[in-house]
Amino acid sequence: MFVSINQKTNSMELRIDNLSKTYSNGIKALQNISLDIPTGMFGLLGPNGAGKSTLMRTIATLQEADSGSIVLGDIDVLQQKNNLRRVLGYLPQQFGLYPKISAEVLLNHFAVLKGITHKNERQELVKALLYKTNLYDVRQQNLKGFSGGMKQRFGIAQALLNNPKLLIVDEPTAGLDPVERNRFYNLLSELGEKTVVILSTHIVDDVKELCTNMAIINKGQVCLKGKPLEILESLKGRVYQKTIEKSELNLYKENYQVISERLFLGKPTIHIVSDTNPGDGFSLINAELEDVYFSEIFNNTKLKSI
Amino acid sequence: MWYTIFKFEIQYRIKRPDTYIFFLFLFLFSIVGVDFIFQGSDMGLMKKNSPIVIAKTMGAITGIFMILASMIMGVSVLRDFKYNIESLLFSAPINKKDYLLGRFLGSFTVLLFAFTGILFGMMLSEFMPWHNPEDLLGFNAFVYIKTFLMVTLPTLFFGASLFFVTGALSRNLVVVYTQGIILFVIFMLTKAITNEFWQAILDPFSLTTTTFATKSWSALEKSTQELPFVGTILYNKLFWVSLGILALIYGYKKFNFNVVKEKQSKRKQVEKLVAKSTNVVSDIEIPVATKQYELLSKWNQLKQFSWFYFISICKQASFWGIVICGMIIILINSVNLGTVYGVDSYPATYFIVEELKETSIYFFIIILVFYSGELVWKERGAKLDLIYDATPMSSFIKLLGKYIGLNVVYVVLMLALIGSGILFQTLSGYYIYEFQVYFFGFFLEILPFLALYTCIAFFIQSVVNHKFVGIMLVIVFFIANVALGLFGFDHDLYFFGGSALGTYSDMNGYGHFLKPYLLIKSYWFLFGILLLIIGSLVNVRGTETNLIQRIRASKNRLSKPLFKVASMVFLVFILMGSLIFYNTNILNTYWTNTKATKFRVAYEKELKQFEYIPQPKIVDVNLKVELYPSSRDYTAEGYYILKNTNAQPINEIHIQKLIEENITLDTVTFDGGATENNTYATYDYTIYQLHSPLNPGDSIKMNFKQSFTTNGFEAGNSNANIVENGTFFNNKDFPTLGYNRKYELSDRDERSEYNLPERTNRANRNDPKELDNARSGSDSDGIHFEMVIGTEIDQTALVPGNLLREWTENNRNYFHYKMEIPMIDFYSIVSARYDIKKDKWISKFDAISKQVDLEIYYHKGHEYNIDRMMMAMKASLDYYSTNFGPYQYEQLRIMEFPRYAQFAQSFPGTVPFSESIGFVLDIDDETDVDMAFYVTAHEIAHQWFAMQVEAANVKGQYFILETLSQYAAIMVLKKHYPKEKIQQFLELQLEKYKEGKLRESGVEPTLALVDNQDHIYYAKGAINMFKFQEIIGEEKINTALKRFLGDWNTINGKLKMQTDRYATTLDLLGYFREVTPSNLQHIIEELFESVGELEVN
Repeated sequence: MFVSINQKTNSMELRIDNLSKTYSNGIKALQNISLDIPTGMFGLLGPNGAGKSTLMRTIATLQEADSGSIVLGDIDVLQQKNNLRRVLGYLPQQFGLYPKISAEVLLNHFAVLKGITHKNERQELVKALLYKTNLYDVRQQNLKGFSGGMKQRFGIAQALLNNPKLLIVDEPTAGLDPVERNRFYNLLSELGEKTVVILSTHIVDDVKELCTNMAIINKGQVCLKGKPLEILESLKGRVYQKTIEKSELNLYKENYQVISERLFLGKPTIHIVSDTNPGDGFSLINAELEDVYFSEIFNNTKLKSI
Repeated sequence: MWYTIFKFEIQYRIKRPDTYIFFLFLFLFSIVGVDFIFQGSDMGLMKKNSPIVIAKTMGAITGIFMILASMIMGVSVLRDFKYNIESLLFSAPINKKDYLLGRFLGSFTVLLFAFTGILFGMMLSEFMPWHNPEDLLGFNAFVYIKTFLMVTLPTLFFGASLFFVTGALSRNLVVVYTQGIILFVIFMLTKAITNEFWQAILDPFSLTTTTFATKSWSALEKSTQELPFVGTILYNKLFWVSLGILALIYGYKKFNFNVVKEKQSKRKQVEKLVAKSTNVVSDIEIPVATKQYELLSKWNQLKQFSWFYFISICKQASFWGIVICGMIIILINSVNLGTVYGVDSYPATYFIVEELKETSIYFFIIILVFYSGELVWKERGAKLDLIYDATPMSSFIKLLGKYIGLNVVYVVLMLALIGSGILFQTLSGYYIYEFQVYFFGFFLEILPFLALYTCIAFFIQSVVNHKFVGIMLVIVFFIANVALGLFGFDHDLYFFGGSALGTYSDMNGYGHFLKPYLLIKSYWFLFGILLLIIGSLVNVRGTETNLIQRIRASKNRLSKPLFKVASMVFLVFILMGSLIFYNTNILNTYWTNTKATKFRVAYEKELKQFEYIPQPKIVDVNLKVELYPSSRDYTAEGYYILKNTNAQPINEIHIQKLIEENITLDTVTFDGGATENNTYATYDYTIYQLHSPLNPGDSIKMNFKQSFTTNGFEAGNSNANIVENGTFFNNKDFPTLGYNRKYELSDRDERSEYNLPERTNRANRNDPKELDNARSGSDSDGIHFEMVIGTEIDQTALVPGNLLREWTENNRNYFHYKMEIPMIDFYSIVSARYDIKKDKWISKFDAISKQVDLEIYYHKGHEYNIDRMMMAMKASLDYYSTNFGPYQYEQLRIMEFPRYAQFAQSFPGTVPFSESIGFVLDIDDETDVDMAFYVTAHEIAHQWFAMQVEAANVKGQYFILETLSQYAAIMVLKKHYPKEKIQQFLELQLEKYKEGKLRESGVEPTLALVDNQDHIYYAKGAINMFKFQEIIGEEKINTALKRFLGDWNTINGKLKMQTDRYATTLDLLGYFREVTPSNLQHIIEELFESVGELEVN
């Protein structure tokens, strides 16, 4: 009997090296992406269309890369696809469910799909996962009636079936209400202890709350990588805020390193980065991860990566 | 407002490739439409572009491709739901009427566009090079346009309305697809209606309608007249259009614009349920289950998958719709089974199975085509594909699971059909359920066919990666393969799926057809597996959809175990292919159609010169035949005595061996010696140069040995005469003398293509050469016959003659037959496992009372009509011997043979009788004519008209042989059954005559000069002879026939003894004239020498 590879190895690392992908229509989805992702929660932050999903799908063996390599432990992901799939849990950004089947039946089906063909073991596992994801009470209900949150929880249940070493979760909280989102986080956070979990999102809070490591990618490139706390540390005492009039916005942009602008009670509030206190009505604030994110996405302000 | 939606719909569809694919598909199909729809049916006087032909073709094409209409119309509203924009749309300020109207009209316009493909395709087809200008009227675009508007448009409107409404209401794609079936069921149901008028009104494709509307038309009118858009056709169209409108109104009322809200409220209920339970915090440790990837695990996966996909189809209401429709249709259709001469057969299982197969195949194909698309697209349809694709599941196992699942679905439908068949048998009071016949019929004949085409469908769907295009391509493949077969490219090695299994017979089962069939099916099945493997390798996995990329990636996907499997399969595939090739092309010769045609041409060109060269006649036949039914072999050894009946000496004797590969003529020797001339060996035609010439009046003994050896199996249909149980062949398989006309090419067009002169079937009544022949190329004017025949221990072998001795030797049965009186040179050789019914008939009217042994050799279980047949034997012998002259033989035997051929045939004192035409008829004396009785009487009449008096091989020959036998049999029937039965019988003949007349082109010959038209010499002959008898009286006719027999009896006829020629209708009518009063003389000309209108009073 085969036992899944590397079951005993506790810490594993996913290494992405110089990964590039250009679509046939010329869009450069990934440009020389290099990331080392250790065990634990890893947040992949970026706006819509940044290349997150392409990266995730490539790691999940669903897409070919043009060049570069991905390695998990001793698995060459791009070549040994099936070996990776054995230790992979994947929750795609968008997915549907067969409407006329119950959660239990479909989960069983997925378990078989993942090679869990021993019947008793499978039933135990399915039962446990249904409890875990709080779907046990509705296990015999047709999936047709599942809400968004239930669907996502089902999605994570199927991803966990094969006790994955690598869990890829693509935008899991999109469209969930705050309660459901919390519930989902609780579930995820438990997993980070022994698994490489990659969580892609465009919601900064997701990363802040869950991830020990993160990277920001935009336009197919990694802009920033590191630990959220350390990144924040580097900005400490350098971010200032001021509420201004709309007409003044351009003026401020010329004179300061504006990293974000947002409306507060209908008036623009800007954050700037400055090593010294700019005065002029600016007040020092505690840098938020959001500031980092926006500064990376919208400005050329180069923060040194840590 | 509706206009905006209309415009949107049109604009959307204009950009979709489907629209053009549909158009192109219909266009291309319609180019061959007429040929496809009318293939195999003789169109008689009708031209290929006669208005009625156009109407029927358009109706049929529209009907067949109604499924396209469902694809176009059904998805219109569905689309909004599919892409989840219904909430956007329905919350916009559109009202229901505008929305539905716009969508409907928009898609209907697109539908019309697609279906104009039929219009243009059919117009173009007139100019296709394969059409003979003689078969066409002048081109008239107006006829096409008018027919399109009259026939296609209303049907389309109805279909469009129905599909649109079901699509909008069910919002389920498969329900939409299966709509076509419902229409088809309706069409089939209308066929069961006995009232022609209602049948014509209710036929959705107006096929029967046009037939009904033109019923009274003459052939010429049918050929040229335009269809009137009044009466039945109008009502039919009005009916369906109004049904369409009703459907729209219903749909409009039922369609709910607030569906979204409803959905949400449902969801909330679930939510509440969950909310209660979420408070329970589950702090559960997830167990680690072992993951297995070895073979056993794959096997478990496969089982689970097959079941999963099978269940997923079972959950679709549409599938059960198909199952129920299939069962209902069979119950309706099975009403008329194995009908012969208007009499139904007992609902024996093989009849039921054949009926079930015929009607259900459409359902199976629909399931195959659509559900294979559904299954291949299942994950993607549910947007679950990425989850599936990221698991370590083997693509092949997944595809194979789907494949098996779909096959299990077929099995379920088959079991349902078998259930309905058994139900039907029970309802008919027939309780002999032959489960093995059901089993074989479905699981051996249909399932392999479906399984193979499912491989194709899965392969196409995997490669094409576009569901609709895939479905279209599968249908195209179906049609192309059928067409390939029709063009004669049907070698089992490259004709996909190989040929069909031979007919099932109670007597012989599937006989020797089964083994090669299974081998060829296995060969193709391996091919199918290879296709599945390739399909699974190039199937989309992940997000890459580009075919070239997928093909490139496929080599990485080919895992080692799969590669091993594929190599093994490929190896066995090649081995089996070689084995088949060895059998069909090395052990046997494979004849393509063109090769066979060329051979016939060459035969005629080379050998026609010998057609009438003087040859001796066979006067004596003495053979020893050894039959080996289980290995399908025989040997025949013995001699002919040949006598020179010509005025000049004969130096060379021409021997034609039957041109069949299994048969070899091992030795031929002549007393006195002869030199072989093998110039024409290609044609199995050998000229023997006699060492000393055969002088007029002298005889010579020709010794020969012929063998029939079965070597492996042949491509296509193999010999069905020499079989394991029920061998039946006649002496035409033995060496014949001189040129044989039957090898000539008979098709008129083909002949002119090869520059061969026109050929008539039968010579003119005054042709001096053929007047001397009783049969084409007649080798004999009567023989003495003796044969010893051996067969296997459990079989009885029968040939004409008295059975002198019967013994067992070497565990084989032997029979020694000898005919004590001369007989015609025509004898059957029959062997099978028989039950025997014996009786005696004693001639009461002869001076010396003579006893005749009556024997019926039948297959055990076929006892139903034995008594009727026995009664007919006695009644016939009574009547004929009283009225025409004594019966010449000491025995009269009927022997059953398998239903590979459907006829009974008279030989001297023996009548081989097909299993299918009398033995299993379910004759109800209240409602049916006793056809078992009648056919027997007819065949026995041939003991006089054929065995006693032979007719010259010229026009009118069959009047003497067949029409007179018909007359004689009717007289026997009349004597034993009430007048109403005769009337019923004659009406049946009238039907047959009319049917035959429609098939026939050219001028109808008179009865006196009839050629090969069976509707004339059988059907019309029976009617006219009966009328003649009514007018001048039975007595008088019998007197005439008695005189005719006395004068023209082949052996001792008074006139025949003075001449070499045989009788013709000219002679016969002379005898009729003799007995007809002078004031009624004209009747003979009216009935037999002119082509009058036929009626039954």
